[in-house]
Amino acid sequence: MKIVTFAKHVPSSVVTPRIAHSGDRIDEDGLSHEVNEADLYAIEEALYQRSLHKGSVTAITIGPGRAKEALHIAYAKGVDQAIQVVDEALRGVNPVLNVMAAAKVVKKLEYDMIFAGIQAEDDLQGQFGIGLAEALGIPAVTAVTEIRASPGEKVATVMRELGGGFKEEIEVDLPCLLTIQFGIRRLRYTPVMAIVRSRSRKIEQVTVESLAIPTEGLQGNAPLRVMKLSYPEDGGRCELIRGSAEEAARKLVHKLVEAGVV
Amino acid sequence: MAGADVIIVCEAGKGQTEAANTRLIAIGEELTRHCSGRLLCLLAGHDIGTKAAELSRHVDEVCVADSPLLANYNPEAHLKIAQTLVEELQPRVVLFGHTFIGMDLAPRLASRLGVGVASNCFDVRIENDALSFMRPMYRGRINARVVMDFRPIIVTLQLGGAEPPAAGRAGTVRRIDVGPVENAKIKPLRTIEPAPTGIDIAKADIVVAGGRGIGEKQNFTLVAELAEALGGVPACSRPLVDMGWFGTSHQVGLSGNTVKPKLYIACGISGAVEHLHGMKESKTIVAINKDPDAPIFKVAHYGVVGDLNEIVPQLTREVRAVRGGKDPRRET
Repeated sequence: MKIVTFAKHVPSSVVTPRIAHSGDRIDEDGLSHEVNEADLYAIEEALYQRSLHKGSVTAITIGPGRAKEALHIAYAKGVDQAIQVVDEALRGVNPVLNVMAAAKVVKKLEYDMIFAGIQAEDDLQGQFGIGLAEALGIPAVTAVTEIRASPGEKVATVMRELGGGFKEEIEVDLPCLLTIQFGIRRLRYTPVMAIVRSRSRKIEQVTVESLAIPTEGLQGNAPLRVMKLSYPEDGGRCELIRGSAEEAARKLVHKLVEAGVV
Repeated sequence: MAGADVIIVCEAGKGQTEAANTRLIAIGEELTRHCSGRLLCLLAGHDIGTKAAELSRHVDEVCVADSPLLANYNPEAHLKIAQTLVEELQPRVVLFGHTFIGMDLAPRLASRLGVGVASNCFDVRIENDALSFMRPMYRGRINARVVMDFRPIIVTLQLGGAEPPAAGRAGTVRRIDVGPVENAKIKPLRTIEPAPTGIDIAKADIVVAGGRGIGEKQNFTLVAELAEALGGVPACSRPLVDMGWFGTSHQVGLSGNTVKPKLYIACGISGAVEHLHGMKESKTIVAINKDPDAPIFKVAHYGVVGDLNEIVPQLTREVRAVRGGKDPRRET
């Protein structure tokens, strides 16, 4: 079974990015990046499916030069092939371009299933997978938590989340695209040395320009435009309790007693 | 007036149906008031007559797609119905709840219509008839105000917020045809309800939840002890479920439970958007986290920045001292 996965290189989840002066984007200067967490689950599941059905796993990233780090990590985890769509101009954050570029690259590959993370932590949109499936004309199931594939019969039975603890079992024809929910499988530990070693492995690079993507939807009027970024307001309502652990605990409990909740 | 109408895609199925519909009515009402269009509702499912009648008191028209084919969520069938209706009615805005169904269906519809979708929106601004929406980015550490240049504008809305407006309309109910999907490639087999566990964190008055910041599984004892000292229940955020420590019955957030206790204490939970969905309406929220920038502090009333493994045991001791071992579960 041949599986294609996507790995987006996104700003580190543990820091708050700085908003650039223009106000409509973040300042990438000095910002560290990591593989989008949901995509790690997609890679993990792809490797698991390969262990059951043989075949291969290809990882693809779309982004500027630095994004190939996502593919080094994918290699360290065990994928067979890695492709970077080099996008220096839009830096991998334009959703329209990402879907069109991914569709162009995937069309040249053989695949039974495509796995994408349920959403990217940077734009939090969760639309890439569905957009790609629509562009390729294949079925998509989202928020998948379990996969039983029968590649011989060209079908898979999957479990998806419906929220509130409800799930749905769905049969889907192959080839298909599945967006993978967090926690589908435990993430393997990836030793740093494995990542270092995989830096020498071949990454096929194609530039966005070479894919001849129509610029419609990329400039001027857009399906979605960010006008302004801001830090969430807390309305000043969060009262920070300071002091040692003991002092903070005493003050906090006092306040909760005063507020009548304890 | 055509072109100014708003369609709310309500839910009749499982999951977060009620909270989603409430929010859709509230925002749909606000938009139609400003844009002087009609408020229309699409309801797709099976045996949904009662729900349709209920919704008709809030909107101008409910378009009901009622068929056994829709008993489970069927992406292809639901998409076909939504697309047909939107192409017929040419609304200005189509609103979905930010539920697993909305998250699935809205991007499909947008792709088919060649327009964008703004997901997870928590606020709408109307200025000189122009609409913009607020939504989180970067794990909720930054908010974005976004606009969409193409019609219809498709949005998924975060749940919760204002109570629904009083039923003020007497809308018509119109049945729409549901045919089988040609060449269906997706076949829903069954919907599975959560297994009953006897624990209902959604009903608890006090919830103490642990998240990724707990570190080791054994540290969860600290959270459980604090919950016990307070007479509350322990709960967790998604990562602990993903690690197999707990089932979704303990989980607070979009995938698990929505809670509104009088006291919610978040220990080592950074406050991913999906988690905030499930607890932001708690009456009093306390956050304990190492990262002062963690989004959880934006919804908290009291915050302690520091190591939960030091702070939580102190809290437990303090609570025990104050309450003297009182167990509110035995009080009325």
